[in-house]
Amino acid sequence: MYKWYAIKRILKGIVIYSLLIFTFSLLFNKVADETQRSQIEEQVRAEAMRQKGKKAEEIKAFQDQRRKALIRLYGLDKPYFEKVISRTVKTLTFNFGKSTIIKSSDGDRDVRKIIFETIPRSLLLFTLAAIIELIIAIILGLKKAQNPGKSLDKGTTLVTMILYGLPTWWLAMLLVMLFAYIIKIFPSGGMYSSPPPEGIMRLFDMLYHMILPLATLVLLGFWGGSFFIRNIVLSILQEDYIMSARARGIPEKKVLFGHTLRSAAPPIVTMVLLGIIGSLGGAIIFEGIFSWPGMGNLYWIALQQNDIPVLLADLAITTGIYQLGLIALDLIYGFLDPRIKVGGKA
Amino acid sequence: MENLLEVKNLRLYYHTSKGAVKALDDVSFSLKEGETLGLVGESGCGKTTTGVALLKMPSPPGRIEKGSQIIIDGTDIVPLSDKEIRKNIRWEKISMVFQGAMNCLTPVYTIGRQMLETLNEHRMMEEKQAVELIKEYLGHVGLPPEVMNRYPHELSGGMKQRVVIASALFLKPRLVILDEPTTALDVIVQAQIINLLKELKKTFNLSFIFITHDLALEAEVSDRICVMYAGKIAELGTNAQIYGKEPLHPYTQKLLQATPLLHKKVDTLAFIPGTPPDLINPPTGCRFNPRCHCTMEKCFTEEPPLIEVEPGHQVACWRCVK
Amino acid sequence: MEFWNEFKRDKSGLVGLGILILCILLVVFEPLIIPYKEAGTKWRSIEYWQDNSQSAPPVWTNLFTKTKQAASADLRDFSKTVDADGNTIYQFHYNYQYDLAPYDLIIRAVGTGTIPLTVSVMRPDKQVIELFSTSLYNLSENEPIRISILNSSRDSALSFVREFESEENFGNIQTMSAGVTEIIFSEAKPGFVQNQIPLKGNYIFEIKVSQPIAEEGQEIPKVYFEEPHISVVGRVSGLLGTDNSKRDIFSGIIAGLKWALLIGFFTSIISVFVGVIYGIITAYFGGKVDSAMMFFWDYFISLPVLPILIVAAAIFKPSIWTLVGVLIVFSWAGSVKTVRSIALQIKEETFVEAARALGASHGRIIFRHMAPILIPYSFASMALAVPGAIIYESTVSLLGLGDTTVVTWGQILNDAYQGQAMLTGLWWWIIPPGLAIAIIGMTFAFLGFALDRILHPKLQTR
Repeated sequence: MYKWYAIKRILKGIVIYSLLIFTFSLLFNKVADETQRSQIEEQVRAEAMRQKGKKAEEIKAFQDQRRKALIRLYGLDKPYFEKVISRTVKTLTFNFGKSTIIKSSDGDRDVRKIIFETIPRSLLLFTLAAIIELIIAIILGLKKAQNPGKSLDKGTTLVTMILYGLPTWWLAMLLVMLFAYIIKIFPSGGMYSSPPPEGIMRLFDMLYHMILPLATLVLLGFWGGSFFIRNIVLSILQEDYIMSARARGIPEKKVLFGHTLRSAAPPIVTMVLLGIIGSLGGAIIFEGIFSWPGMGNLYWIALQQNDIPVLLADLAITTGIYQLGLIALDLIYGFLDPRIKVGGKA
Repeated sequence: MENLLEVKNLRLYYHTSKGAVKALDDVSFSLKEGETLGLVGESGCGKTTTGVALLKMPSPPGRIEKGSQIIIDGTDIVPLSDKEIRKNIRWEKISMVFQGAMNCLTPVYTIGRQMLETLNEHRMMEEKQAVELIKEYLGHVGLPPEVMNRYPHELSGGMKQRVVIASALFLKPRLVILDEPTTALDVIVQAQIINLLKELKKTFNLSFIFITHDLALEAEVSDRICVMYAGKIAELGTNAQIYGKEPLHPYTQKLLQATPLLHKKVDTLAFIPGTPPDLINPPTGCRFNPRCHCTMEKCFTEEPPLIEVEPGHQVACWRCVK
Repeated sequence: MEFWNEFKRDKSGLVGLGILILCILLVVFEPLIIPYKEAGTKWRSIEYWQDNSQSAPPVWTNLFTKTKQAASADLRDFSKTVDADGNTIYQFHYNYQYDLAPYDLIIRAVGTGTIPLTVSVMRPDKQVIELFSTSLYNLSENEPIRISILNSSRDSALSFVREFESEENFGNIQTMSAGVTEIIFSEAKPGFVQNQIPLKGNYIFEIKVSQPIAEEGQEIPKVYFEEPHISVVGRVSGLLGTDNSKRDIFSGIIAGLKWALLIGFFTSIISVFVGVIYGIITAYFGGKVDSAMMFFWDYFISLPVLPILIVAAAIFKPSIWTLVGVLIVFSWAGSVKTVRSIALQIKEETFVEAARALGASHGRIIFRHMAPILIPYSFASMALAVPGAIIYESTVSLLGLGDTTVVTWGQILNDAYQGQAMLTGLWWWIIPPGLAIAIIGMTFAFLGFALDRILHPKLQTR
């Protein structure tokens, strides 16, 4: 039952992802093409430099010949749609090519390496933030649901609404200005100091750099979650099966954490996952403010430096993670909710 | 025989911002061991509230008022703390099969897990023993032991109802309150459940309080009937007294008249005019007076007390006072 | 009316409504409220802001400091007299009560032809300093005249110092910490090279336009000199200070308000509307139509909006309205899922079956029977979608990809970021635009949640 559900969902995700990459290839074909052509030009020139003792015409002939060969090699002379398809396939197989300017931490221009380096950095920050936010949100949300309409509930809901339209990156700007430049207690950016320290101090150094971005995310993040959890828990508490559990003598703690929270798990997990993949999308600015070397920051740098291969690859990976998140969401929801996991009536 | 249950002057008010809703206003009755007492009445008359009160679980902002007494097996449970109730009374002495059993099982736990959980709260048992006990009771209600591994949504309505009944019985309580146990089921399943209940009652020597608005069902199941109206008892008597002869309270009369009989031809369906009263500000005097067809002057000024007109038969109506 | 009573119950909804009305009034009366009338259109014009202070904190910061800094001002009242020699004298009064002198004084006027003029100031201590004296030649018709005291009066200031300063101190002139304006506005006594004590009181600035000497046998040329005024370039300026391009931030905020509202309204209304109709249609038709439509929806909802928005903006450099269009394209999918599930339940209601039995067409059922139930709910969605739209636009603008021909709060924040406002602690540049975004967001959150509470279709079928 569940296996079928899972397989269908994953297949659908793959199809959609392919369509998305196809769309990107379509839209950015021209730009990517131009980039490749100039890269070829670069290579041709470099090769020509190594030709010693030849006459000018000979060198030129050599360049033309090489150029043609490389163009054919990379398939740039093929018709439009063929190019788009081949680019789609290449992207789907993570064949990203070389960057124009950006280098990985060990000086390589292999786009795949560049991107894969940045992924764990983003994930580390946002997942950690999400976990902390979730813990706070559960505690606060449960407390609110237990005394609905009283001052804690009303007060926190009010704050949630007040902070609703506040951009995270703006709070980031404020906190950086305040704590990094005015009161200089936190670093203004980056993941490590330069040069980064050795051993266990390296870990602490990273944590030190993480404090400000983490604080920004968490300060704004748990409000929405607690509001959501409060509503879900409240609606469950009104269900008959909760009253029945209480009548049967189940102690309140077990009712709350066992029956209620467990029933609320599917939508809560949905909310958390959506939050993580959402924040990954907005990471472009956020990481930029903190110069946190994650995927978002890479995206921005690639854009500014016109490094199209890196940009498109980052877009592909971001979309991929987004899609993975959506798939994971459906799968986990189905797993947690027995009505889907086990399905049907006897 | 001592009365298993004695309820005296039970008052349950919901304290809302608009005033106190007098859901139960001075309700008194008793129940013998092995007896089935039926509670009937319109929606909102207080039948379910009575059941919930006996478990001391009024939903907030409800409160059992001072002066009420609920004496089971000689112990008045009203002054007891919630902890004591949970440990000794609820589910041990009194259990309840709620209205809408479909929704009474937590959807994310298997049947077995929920039943085990209940059992573990009340008895110290090894898991093996507990499982055996559960299987035994599932058998009693006619369910196969595999049901333990199923989730609630995998069972039909009737099966869920049986599970709930089994859960209400396995601690061997003295009194089981059944609140509309068959309302959501079709007639065939209904008959099965009723037969099952009758059997279980015989086997385990149970006492029931059977709450329903279905008069025909009530007649079949109950030994004594308690007719409620607007939070008070209108008439209380044996099955024969209420259904056999002509009932004494105008409300009961109207109720019975409103039930069409298959073999009698009816031109117009009889009904009771008006609507149930506002329980925050009930009518002065007898609460039924706006809808009664035979009122006297006194009915509008003084509330009629519940008096015994013949052994075992009580009515609250001025017409029945000699 | 029932609705209004329900709405009144929750204070936050009223607060939201109040702020919204206030904002609409601000937009309508913008020309009256905004200090710099052409801030909206001339935001990027260097000329327009020329005479303003640079990176100056707001005026009210003076309340919190001991040294009161001079505020920017515009001296436009003058008395015009003609003296015995036929010179026209324009006198401006300036009451100086600050501790720190203005940054500069800009003399402005319009003139034609040849204009000999002299600018001097009479201080409260009755000392007169001649700040500037020259003849302006060959001005074309109504050519703007601009004289900056900071630039043009250095020598005059130095001579003035020399008059009153001790020889020894004057020798250390290299280390002089006083600028031209500080000298003008401080007590003239020895030691005032290093330490200025502010001279508070009434200053009279005089612009003397002399009669030019007539050529032999020729008529005395007429002097065309109009609209003189003096801009005092303060160290604090405006309600919210200025940025490093001398722009008044308060004007920027007011100018950006209408864009925030426009972007919010258009994006949210259209995208929610499209989403609701889409949800109803897909639920109503069900089956293959539903599968296809939902697949299409899945595709859209899988797009990471911001990265794509950024790349598209970088490549196509859209105008603000194109941006709104793109936002709508990315936002319509958001409301579909909830609407669809509600519509699915409505579909099961018997009145839909009844309408079909009566022969109603699909369109009629959708628009006449189903949509009206969901429209109220969609109002709540629209309100709650506004902050998101505004944040998207401001994010794109923050990256410098926005429409530079209009002023939006995101643009201002982009300028702040580029202008190193964080580093230099120019909090009055960073806080107001972001705060404005947050307040609008809060307003629509209040409204949206209040509406949602009242209008959410409470489903009867359980």
